[in-house]
Amino acid sequence: MLRKDLIQKSPVVQIIGNDYMEKGQFAAVISRAGVGKTQFLVQIAISWLLEGKKVIHISLYDTIDKINLRYKEGYTNLIDSVGYIDPQKASRLWDDLAPCKFGITCHENTFSPKNIRDYLVSLRKNSLEMPSMIVVDGLDFDRDCSVVLDKLLELASEFSLAIWFSMKSHREEAFTDKGFPIQLDKVQDRFAKAIYLQPKEDKIEVVILKDGEKVNERHLIEPATMMLA
Amino acid sequence: MLKDLKRVRNIGISAHIDSGKTTLTERILFYTNRIHQIHEVKGKDGAGAVMDSMELERERGITIASAATHCEWNKNDINIIDTPGHVDFTVEVERSLRVLDGVILVLCSVSGVQSQSITVDQQMKRYQVPCIAFVNKCDRSGANPYRVAKQLRDKLGHNSVLMQIPIGLEDKLKGVVDLVSMKALYFEGDNGENVIVKEIPNELKDEAAEKREEMIDAVSMYSDELTEAILEEKEITEAMVVDAIRRGTIAREMTPVFLGSAYKNTAVQPLLDAVIKFLPAPIDINNEAIDHDNNGESVTLTSDFDKPTVALAFKLEDGQYGQLTYIRVYQGGLKKGDTIINSRDGKKVKVGRLIRMHAAEMEDIDEIPAGHIGAMFGIDCASGDTFVSPGINYSMIAMHVMEPVISLSINPVDNKSQINMSKALNRFTKEDPTFRTYVDKETNETIIQGMGELHLEVYVERMKREYKAEVITGQPRVAYRETITQKAEFNYTHKKQTGGAGQFGRVSGFVEPFDGEFEFVNKVTGGRIPTNYIPACEKGFAGCMEKGPKLEFPITGVRVTLMDGAYHAVDSSDMAFQAAARGGFLEGYLKAKPVIHEPIMKVVIETPNEFQGSCMGLINQRRGIILGSQEEGVMSVIESQVPLSEMFGFSTILRSATQGKAQFTMEFSSYKQVPQSVADAIIKAKEEDKKKK
Repeated sequence: MLRKDLIQKSPVVQIIGNDYMEKGQFAAVISRAGVGKTQFLVQIAISWLLEGKKVIHISLYDTIDKINLRYKEGYTNLIDSVGYIDPQKASRLWDDLAPCKFGITCHENTFSPKNIRDYLVSLRKNSLEMPSMIVVDGLDFDRDCSVVLDKLLELASEFSLAIWFSMKSHREEAFTDKGFPIQLDKVQDRFAKAIYLQPKEDKIEVVILKDGEKVNERHLIEPATMMLA
Repeated sequence: MLKDLKRVRNIGISAHIDSGKTTLTERILFYTNRIHQIHEVKGKDGAGAVMDSMELERERGITIASAATHCEWNKNDINIIDTPGHVDFTVEVERSLRVLDGVILVLCSVSGVQSQSITVDQQMKRYQVPCIAFVNKCDRSGANPYRVAKQLRDKLGHNSVLMQIPIGLEDKLKGVVDLVSMKALYFEGDNGENVIVKEIPNELKDEAAEKREEMIDAVSMYSDELTEAILEEKEITEAMVVDAIRRGTIAREMTPVFLGSAYKNTAVQPLLDAVIKFLPAPIDINNEAIDHDNNGESVTLTSDFDKPTVALAFKLEDGQYGQLTYIRVYQGGLKKGDTIINSRDGKKVKVGRLIRMHAAEMEDIDEIPAGHIGAMFGIDCASGDTFVSPGINYSMIAMHVMEPVISLSINPVDNKSQINMSKALNRFTKEDPTFRTYVDKETNETIIQGMGELHLEVYVERMKREYKAEVITGQPRVAYRETITQKAEFNYTHKKQTGGAGQFGRVSGFVEPFDGEFEFVNKVTGGRIPTNYIPACEKGFAGCMEKGPKLEFPITGVRVTLMDGAYHAVDSSDMAFQAAARGGFLEGYLKAKPVIHEPIMKVVIETPNEFQGSCMGLINQRRGIILGSQEEGVMSVIESQVPLSEMFGFSTILRSATQGKAQFTMEFSSYKQVPQSVADAIIKAKEEDKKKK
């Protein structure tokens, strides 16, 4: 029951719906530094975890402890948004969810899709449960990352994964003619979904840049909790 | 022994396995003229390091028992405890930390802060032991002391402050620049025994100045005098800086970081100076004991030689002249011929021979004054016992001891081995509280229990070597436990009429899950069960906790509440109520959805990046949960939790999967419920075992 309540309350489900992205596709959360890309990605991952799916969170700058802390905080915010929940039940659900995600921290220049592939292959070989989603946080889209993206795309289709990226844009750069930040514009054909976050007064505005009919939908969320305002 | 306690240091050297603790200790003993030749840990000369006095230790290149040793540096007394680095032996580390005033935390400049360093750090926190860090192996390729200092901050939360910078690194390591005195130190001579002080090389002057500024800035927090001098732009004297560092270190608010390479005889002497300058003397530390004559109130011990003696036996060893008891005196003093009392059992003992140890060699002394560490012969006691002067009843605060998680059956091959084995077991259980032994009533086998495969393996090996007891070992077994998951009621009548006086007793109440081990609550009113039978009921219930009715594993976490019952004026007895309680427990227990719990280990694998994926796969195959994987230079560190039952033989599997390049450490984390499919397999195996018997 608690899972269902939380899924309904999830800002991600309310904004992009719960028809989860088809496997084998890319999606991105874009904003300039410090707006809340990572925390929004964590909310997306938590909504997948609540659906009983497994998630791998790869960060190029956070330590493992910090990743775990982000998830715990995201979960607590979600719990608080539902109103009163028996703390024991909440902590039992967290005990169930926490093992379904795991964080990998690596450096940008040593980030290698091959290691992820080795891991997935060993899971498949032993008929163990496969993850459904990978979060890649911190990849520098200002540089040419087509090689890494190609490899990840292969990985995504081979293992039926959805991959969510964080993408850092810059305050001084204008959107392109197609209405995308420059970083997304270069690689937009590979992405099925894209969400843009921008500060608006004391809230954060979530703009859907790419997602079928939902394009240009706008929502406001609280910066402290990432819940709908 | 020095009575000026300002000149005494009781220190330990602890670190991750293979960081070079024993090598460092060896060098310290050499420079303090305690030994006259240096041997390597896995030495080709066959001599082995002096501190590794057990034959087995030399062979494996690991330090098992913490040998206590004494040396002198610039007219100061230093007592050193060399502690084992392997996690399976952490009780040794815990015990050493209990009696130490300060620690040198040795870190490898390539591997940095590793899992064991984290464990050791937690233990240091528990006993509030101040420490200085020594970044060793700066001569190895990939050495980066700055990264290690940063890791100390990030991973262990230490306020690490560099006290030195290296002159060259890796194979070009020549010496260090001391940031306090702003001098370059070089180490010349065959064994680096001549410390040459020179001006800082030109190319390092800027860096040294910058790092000194950072250091002064960090340590100024701990001295008003220094802060004033900085603000008023007065001259900053060396004494001011040393005083500030000392204060910060003793308060455990900062960790000064030193660097060097023990193996290459570089910068060990400055570390010894640092021990004297920055680590606390016995009088700087507050030690407390429990006063049993005063409702267990805690009393502060002072290093006063005239006060009644309080001393703690922290380690036992079986030497050629009988039991050798290592002891730390906290108050008063131990003299030859004194009568002291073991506060655990109240027995009076007379102090015989007192000695000061230097690894395997010993020096006779007449007295161990307060603040010192020594050893005594011929006293029968267990590790952790407190000795006091007649008239007081103090005991030192109990040490944190972990429950064993693994067991192994051992069978002596012949009668002689049988006798030697019991001698050995008697000794080992006294030496090590995490090593236990008992005889299985059903199979008549002797079972030994401990903290890991290696832990038990070492004891079996020691039995063979030191006691000539050949034993055949069985398969290692995991210490499973049973518990209940819900509340369930019971109402049981025990009734027997077989001629003569019968047996009658009825108990009713409920069992429910509970956070501790076991609790009995009596809520019987109106004399439905006479009060004189209540203890029998409790005994009956508690007796059931030893073995679960289904799987025969020990039961934990049950609260039994007795609500009601009935008795018979003639037929009721203690026996009858005990039997009724057993029946009642069984009835309630089976309804309360019992489950099996298994020990879960925290497993940390360090592997080259290219094997990261396959190592993570290995964890998954073993029902493990990966907590995270972090890249550190060319290595990845994978942290996970894996059931102990899946970890047997893991070292071989890991070696073959990674071409022998990965290593792992394992320690107990918690007990968790076994998944149903695994529980079924355990039940099946247990049934088959029974059939065989």
